[in-house]
Amino acid sequence: MKANPAKEVRLQTRSSVRARRFWQTQRFKTNMPLWIMFVPVVVFYLVFKYAPMAGLVIAFKNYTFFEGVWGSQWVGFDNFRTLFTQAQSLQIIRNTLLLSVLSVLIGFPFPIMLAVMLNEVRRKWFQKSVQTLVYLPHFFSWVIVGGLVVTIFAQSGVVNVVMEKLTGHSFAFLFHEGSWVAIFLGSGIWKDAGFSAIIYLAALTSIDPSLYEAASMDGAGKWKQIRHITLPGISPTIVIMLILAMGRVMEVGFDQVYVLQNSIVSGISEVISTYIYAIGLQGGQFSLTAALGMFESLVAFILVLLTNAVARRFGKGLW
Amino acid sequence: MGTTREERIFYAFNYVLLTLAGILCLLPLLHLASLSLSGKNAVLSGFVTLWPQEITFESYKLLFAGTPVLRSLTNSVLITVVGVVMSMVVTICAAYPLSRREFYGRRWLTLAIVFTMLFTGGLIPTYLVVNYLGLVNSYGALWLPALVSTYNMMIMRSFFENIPEELAEAARIDGSGEWRLLLRIVLPLSLPMLATIGLFYAVYYWNSFFNVMIYINSPEKLNLTVLIQQMVRSQSVLQEINTMDTQQVNNITPEGIKAAGIMIMIVPMLVVYPLLQRYFVKGVTIGAIKG
Repeated sequence: MKANPAKEVRLQTRSSVRARRFWQTQRFKTNMPLWIMFVPVVVFYLVFKYAPMAGLVIAFKNYTFFEGVWGSQWVGFDNFRTLFTQAQSLQIIRNTLLLSVLSVLIGFPFPIMLAVMLNEVRRKWFQKSVQTLVYLPHFFSWVIVGGLVVTIFAQSGVVNVVMEKLTGHSFAFLFHEGSWVAIFLGSGIWKDAGFSAIIYLAALTSIDPSLYEAASMDGAGKWKQIRHITLPGISPTIVIMLILAMGRVMEVGFDQVYVLQNSIVSGISEVISTYIYAIGLQGGQFSLTAALGMFESLVAFILVLLTNAVARRFGKGLW
Repeated sequence: MGTTREERIFYAFNYVLLTLAGILCLLPLLHLASLSLSGKNAVLSGFVTLWPQEITFESYKLLFAGTPVLRSLTNSVLITVVGVVMSMVVTICAAYPLSRREFYGRRWLTLAIVFTMLFTGGLIPTYLVVNYLGLVNSYGALWLPALVSTYNMMIMRSFFENIPEELAEAARIDGSGEWRLLLRIVLPLSLPMLATIGLFYAVYYWNSFFNVMIYINSPEKLNLTVLIQQMVRSQSVLQEINTMDTQQVNNITPEGIKAAGIMIMIVPMLVVYPLLQRYFVKGVTIGAIKG
């Protein structure tokens, strides 16, 4: 077939010429299916991630169900002012910081120790069995872990039965603030220390074995080898995990507190997430708790940026 | 083998401590299992530690006969199976394009997605969105907001990125389009990773607690986690169980029935855990999260 030269010229002088060519390029042919694939993803992130961010405007409003998000009255920073003057909300922020900082400080070394210890095991079957056991609790929901803890440490639980036989007294572990915090931290370590060790174990495999041989020749004992070879070898991973942990400092998981808490220790156990649930969702104070949630999110965001900036100084930043 | 004294002490300590760690993870489970299988007298007298006394299955019988455990178990399975399928499909739809160098806007889209890991709207605005969409009290409220876990998606993306580019080239020369490339080459090559991510999603949905608590109102739609939590919390668990047979209740304690409830949640996990163990270790390590 012979092409019509006049038509072709006309088409080429049009501004659509670049677009027309683009429609035919290989790049477009590859991209079209990818875009189609990606549409539900865009919708998901817009609706369930970015729309809630926009919904944070209610933190600056007095939200009521009848007026809706856009119709409600603006109140400026009133909600934040209330939050930072109320004794109750200040206590809740303090509790959140206390529990999470303690969790990070006390919980953080356990996976590292576990990984280093597992790494030193020569008998494969032993290593495998210990791994199987310590990874397991990670897969249990907090309802299971909370159920285990509450049953074991209850007044009639096995710990108290044994204690009474040995010392003659029992102790209400879950109803004293100090022991409650200890149980809170312990249960967190019990559940996740094993699983978190996986990432360090993976990092350990990348350490050059000849380093150990050389150190051994020079007469360095096991402790020295761990201090001067193993720990420096996994320090980038440790820094990354620390950055990620900092991002979670403002968030104490709802589930863990909820399954362990009781009214007697609420002075220490009420945290931001349980407060938002009780006062916001159940009590209907949407604006006030949205403000609290926004504060939580912002602080977490800033903390991640700060930690990363510090880590970058040492050449170990996440980005 | 020439091991020094220091090394011998080190290894001895190491083995002892690791054994203790392993046992510490196992003991609570054994204790609960024993409680759930023991008779009333043994439980009340505090004799039950790590082995059941006066073995009886009454607690389990009563749970299945007198409480909605079976229905909530089916609900949990439904939530998990449908949730995993939906999440996997959409996560692949996100990870695959983002792993392709040709994909327009890949940089910006990745940034926009990673940003949602660092900053979130939080619970209240998310609840309002779900409520606005009319999803409250339907399982849609559990599935749709959790379709993509960004963390899982990033693991998947970096795995796809590591598949050699030559394979894609070869497929394209053979004339297969993107869909065929994905379905015939990329996905079959990624099966272990897909199993890992599927496992993560399955654990997430199976354990879902908070979302069920806030979004699901009808008691008959509750899943196992929430039902068991209500039982464990209850002061009067025995009175709440409707049983015709008062004789049956005689050999049962609140502790026993609560322990049995917890065991019903643990057992399915223990069954699948050994099958999946080899996958999740791989999954955690391939990710190594790139920012």
